[in-house]
Amino acid sequence: MQKFVALLIIGLIIATGYTFVTYQYFFAGFTNLHNYSKTPAYVLNGSKVFTNGTVVLQIARVDGPDTYGGFIVLLQLIYQNGTTIYQWNAEQLGSIPQSHIHNEYPLHPVKSDKFALVVPLGQNASVMLQVPFKLKPGIYTLRAYDVDGQDSAYGISFSVTVQAQQS
Amino acid sequence: MQNHDVDQAQMALPIMRITLGWLYFSAMLRRVWNVPAKMNPSSPLYVGGKLITFIPHSLYIRGILQYTLLHPTLLFDFLVVWTILEGVFGLFMMLGFMSRLSGLVIALLAWGIGLGAGWIGTTCLDEWQIAAVEGAAALVFAFAGSKWLSIDQLLIKKYPKGLKIGRWSIPLW
Repeated sequence: MQKFVALLIIGLIIATGYTFVTYQYFFAGFTNLHNYSKTPAYVLNGSKVFTNGTVVLQIARVDGPDTYGGFIVLLQLIYQNGTTIYQWNAEQLGSIPQSHIHNEYPLHPVKSDKFALVVPLGQNASVMLQVPFKLKPGIYTLRAYDVDGQDSAYGISFSVTVQAQQS
Repeated sequence: MQNHDVDQAQMALPIMRITLGWLYFSAMLRRVWNVPAKMNPSSPLYVGGKLITFIPHSLYIRGILQYTLLHPTLLFDFLVVWTILEGVFGLFMMLGFMSRLSGLVIALLAWGIGLGAGWIGTTCLDEWQIAAVEGAAALVFAFAGSKWLSIDQLLIKKYPKGLKIGRWSIPLW
């Protein structure tokens, strides 16, 4: 009987611990409540810009609904002085050949769907893009816009600043 | 008086047992009977893809998820095993067969999936609520068993100390 009670108390601690620890870890419910499923967020770290005009967009979808989207409808390449050198609109992003997209995981791939670049939750892909002219050396910012018009969510900016590489 | 209280508590357990078991048994049914494409790796409905959506904020198991997703054969085998466990122990829980073992297995299934999916839920804290309450409910059965409206109530009369293997008694019910 004593052994049973000891085990029971361990079970109580495990069940309660799981509930409270995951509540805090997933939602910060005891401090600063958040829900990362509400709206899409993207991380562009690892993207590359080359002076011959080649741009490798490294895009990971890290937040938002699991069953739908997200949809990138505008991608801007901004020079260090703040001018937008080039931008890819929804039509262009919606027609990238699959051979130019390399997905980290085989399921739920990033793909163009005619209307946008679709980036499923959890996927991480590199997308080969080409600016139709040569780029000056310097520092460039790549900025993506979700179809809801946002370029940031949960404090994550959908942009990355990189030094152009010689090609 | 004490025994009478325990009996009444035991008699309330089938209310939870059927629903808890069905949550798992029906998960198998949806994949095998309702929509078999869910278990077809070349179908867009394949449930293997769900594991990708767990990755961004999963707890402890990110490496396992990533490794499994990069090895499609392993992913399929994992889904088959998981689905069998859900179907078998969900049914056992409903029938009240080896309730204590079934409770333990279901608690581990609930908490395991919760470590991955727990952060997902667009309306409420959906997946976290599911995992937390299913895990806790199942663990109750791991300790209490179910000794009324169950197969175990027959077994326990014949083998009150559980399954006997040599000098060991394993309390499966």
